[in-house]
Amino acid sequence: MVFNSIEFLVFLPIVVLLFYLLPHKWRWLMLLAASCVFYMWFVPKYILILLVTIVIDYSSGILMERCADQPRKKKTFMIVSIVSTLTVLIVFKYLNFITENLDQLCVSLGMETHLMTHIILPIGLSFHTFQSMSYVIEVCRGHQKAEQHFGYYSLYVMFFPQLVTGPIERPGNLLRQLHEKKEFRYENISKGMRLILFGFFVKMVVADHLGEYVDEVYGHLGEYNSWSVLLGMVFYSFQIYCDFFGYSTIALGSAKLMGFDITDNFRSPYLSKNIAEFWHRWHISLSTWFRDYVYIPLGGSRVKFGRWVFNILVVFVLSGIWHGAAWTFLLWGFAHGVLHIVEKLLRSSALSTRRDAPLFLNALSVMKTFVLVTLFWVMFRATSMEHLKEIFVTAFTKFGEGEMMHVRTGMWLYLGLLILFDILLRNTRFDVWCNDKPLVLRWAVYAVLVFMTICCSSVANFPFIYFQF
Amino acid sequence: MKKLLIRIGMVLVMLVVLNWVYSRWFFEKDLRQHSDIVELSWQVVDDSCRIIYLGESSNNHFGDDEPNHRKISDFTSDYFPTVKMGDLTKEASHAQTYYYMLKHVPASSAVETVVVTMNLRSFGPLWIYSKLETPLRKQLVLLEDYPPLVNRFLLAFKAYPIKTEEEWDAIVHEHWRNDTFNIPNFIWRTNADWNYGMYTYGWYDACGQRDWDVTALACHYIKTYGFQIEENNPRLKDFDNIVALCRERGWNLVFNLMAENVDKANELVGKDLMLLFRHNRDFLLQRYGNLEGVRVVNNLSLVRDVNFIDQNWTTEHYYEEGRRIVADHLASALKEFYPEEYQNPKTLILDKGHYCLSATRALDWQNPYGSTLVLTGDSIQPDWSIMNVAFEIHQQDSLSKAVLAVEKHNAQGKVSIDSYAVKSQVQKTGAWDFATYALPIDSTLRTAQEIKLYVHNFSGSIVQIRNFDVSFRPSYLKARVKAQSYKSADLNNGE
Repeated sequence: MVFNSIEFLVFLPIVVLLFYLLPHKWRWLMLLAASCVFYMWFVPKYILILLVTIVIDYSSGILMERCADQPRKKKTFMIVSIVSTLTVLIVFKYLNFITENLDQLCVSLGMETHLMTHIILPIGLSFHTFQSMSYVIEVCRGHQKAEQHFGYYSLYVMFFPQLVTGPIERPGNLLRQLHEKKEFRYENISKGMRLILFGFFVKMVVADHLGEYVDEVYGHLGEYNSWSVLLGMVFYSFQIYCDFFGYSTIALGSAKLMGFDITDNFRSPYLSKNIAEFWHRWHISLSTWFRDYVYIPLGGSRVKFGRWVFNILVVFVLSGIWHGAAWTFLLWGFAHGVLHIVEKLLRSSALSTRRDAPLFLNALSVMKTFVLVTLFWVMFRATSMEHLKEIFVTAFTKFGEGEMMHVRTGMWLYLGLLILFDILLRNTRFDVWCNDKPLVLRWAVYAVLVFMTICCSSVANFPFIYFQF
Repeated sequence: MKKLLIRIGMVLVMLVVLNWVYSRWFFEKDLRQHSDIVELSWQVVDDSCRIIYLGESSNNHFGDDEPNHRKISDFTSDYFPTVKMGDLTKEASHAQTYYYMLKHVPASSAVETVVVTMNLRSFGPLWIYSKLETPLRKQLVLLEDYPPLVNRFLLAFKAYPIKTEEEWDAIVHEHWRNDTFNIPNFIWRTNADWNYGMYTYGWYDACGQRDWDVTALACHYIKTYGFQIEENNPRLKDFDNIVALCRERGWNLVFNLMAENVDKANELVGKDLMLLFRHNRDFLLQRYGNLEGVRVVNNLSLVRDVNFIDQNWTTEHYYEEGRRIVADHLASALKEFYPEEYQNPKTLILDKGHYCLSATRALDWQNPYGSTLVLTGDSIQPDWSIMNVAFEIHQQDSLSKAVLAVEKHNAQGKVSIDSYAVKSQVQKTGAWDFATYALPIDSTLRTAQEIKLYVHNFSGSIVQIRNFDVSFRPSYLKARVKAQSYKSADLNNGE
């Protein structure tokens, strides 16, 4: 089930109503059933894959706790669990990529092979695999008690607001809250509704309208001039942000309706002054996951320079590969890693990082980061290395050829509104921002958002971009 | 809880206000943009049509080398020269689309009779669950009976079946596998069994080799027509809705059951498929033919194989002869409602045959040709020096590629086309405007065997044309001589 559908708008109120009507001891069951329905709305059979990883990680958790005083055994259970979970991920996400490249390698060596597989990626696999892994690692480290109740553990992995596109939750946050008894509070309903409304606006009005332009330009590169392609690049930066930010905000709001606080995934990332800050503000749940479970175990920054460079590149390349099984994603991750290293080396001399830096220097830094991130997003959007090359060639060499694609006035308005909101919400969230505003202003904002979401939303069908991961 | 109830009340008030704002300033623009079929319904009023013909590609599909681009509805209108007839043609549409189109014909219209294309294929799973359903159903969302804001909300939240091509295919296959035939002594249990039987035993060529092309075509005929219409067929509900709507509006209703290529079906598949054709035809004739105020015109087996354009596929696209046959049969049924106005077109004074030139026609890449005036070079008087072409045009935006085309066919069969960009005359968008051209008559026109004048728009931006009018001006006279007193080629043939 997708958030921006009629089905979800019927499903969510029913679930929230049942949640508050049922006694606490039955709520987990209802939420688990609802999560199953939510997930099975896409392709029912894929729930079996989810079940396999749930059973493996649940059992591993219990076994690890049983041998708390035998560190070696405990570690073995953790490794077995992680390898099993990763095997599922590799088979469903990376096998096609691996076999395709092996085939190409064999052809270049003069051998004829037919290894190519055509496995379909179950929706949200990367997200819930990482969520399961974080549980196993936390239990192994002793930061989290193993969950004894299979139902609660299943719900932790399957909690529908964040099941298919995150945020990637930690057991310390979500699992704990699932056990807590939640009382009906008007404030939660109000905040949840605000977040959902804002999420719909960002996704359906801004992201989807930009998507129409981006799809047209990237799909017909030969027809348009460089200016159109450059504009397409900028629009794609905003499209992917709004698409994912919108989804995360709706997820946050849906959970909030029932009193659950899940992790914020975005904090105005395009206002970052450097790439390190960008990753503190973009897809926060994933970057902190890599920080806690890959970067720090590798030694983090408290190592020699060469090793630190290696650590950074490993984390970013893995992050790229996590997004998708293609060379373009790997390149995207690598480019971010390299930029991170270069910026770190230059940072000591950069004025922009100083607290007393003049405003225009800060603005320049923000612009620089945005431009670089935008250029990197092209790798993310390209369907292949050839397509990537074609985009860059068209973007920088065809200023006098082809047509300039027309941008509707509305699109500038929606983008302007988004940038305004991004600046206003730089250090806060929409639901919190509304709190201290006068009633009239608050309701005027609601009215504008409702009107725009209903009447100005794009009618094209754009699935959430992160669904493919 | 009290606070919550107050807020709910405030939300309701807000929605009422937003609905008013949306209906007042935005809804019509959205309708034109996202449900453009409604424009066809609205133009019925502008054109003061008394008969409207609702059709799909069978009405505007012509052979590649066919000189005459007149539709079934155009030929039909020739029989009723004093009755204005308009056509609402939309590619791939079906009864559900027609129902929504009819529902939005304004009450102020002069419509008396509605002709609805009844396509036998549209009752089969291959069409009911076609991939085209997603865009077609999306078009209908804004036309629901709810308040405009609710309709726009349903469109925003995708309240129509969004399925990939593979998902639609899977549904079709499921029906082929599971829908069983309930006809006594019919040897096949399901469409899938039948198709498998044809695939297994199939066709052989003269050398005794398996002819896979012919076998594939035979299988396609089975997939397309191998279904049995029963009371639970979802398409019947759409036709029932049309019946109810026409009764409510007091319109005469004619279902025009289109001709299928039964010759080829018989040749390729044989008597089993013929039996199904008959069964389904009889079912429809019985179900609708006996209803008061409803006529069913049975064209099913009227058009011969040679008159079908697509010889290797199942369509209702006919060459001119086929379109004329269907029109003739339909006109006979309409005669019942308009006995006084009916005239055999072969005896018509030809200028009356051009009513189609005044009706609005929407042109885009799928249907780029406007109403065409056809005349011969020798009909141009020696003293005429200027040809005036005038028409009304409605451009959606400035992106159309509409041109006025003057197509000349010389005695050697060579064709040359002079085109004049409409943009040079009309810049206005979103409203009707006039375009006029004064074209000098040169020797190439005078010596042409055939001259065709039409507006052509091969672009994604829809352009509407109406009141297409051509007249000639002698060099020494200011008075205009109406071109409509000259005969169009198709009617020439008739005389």
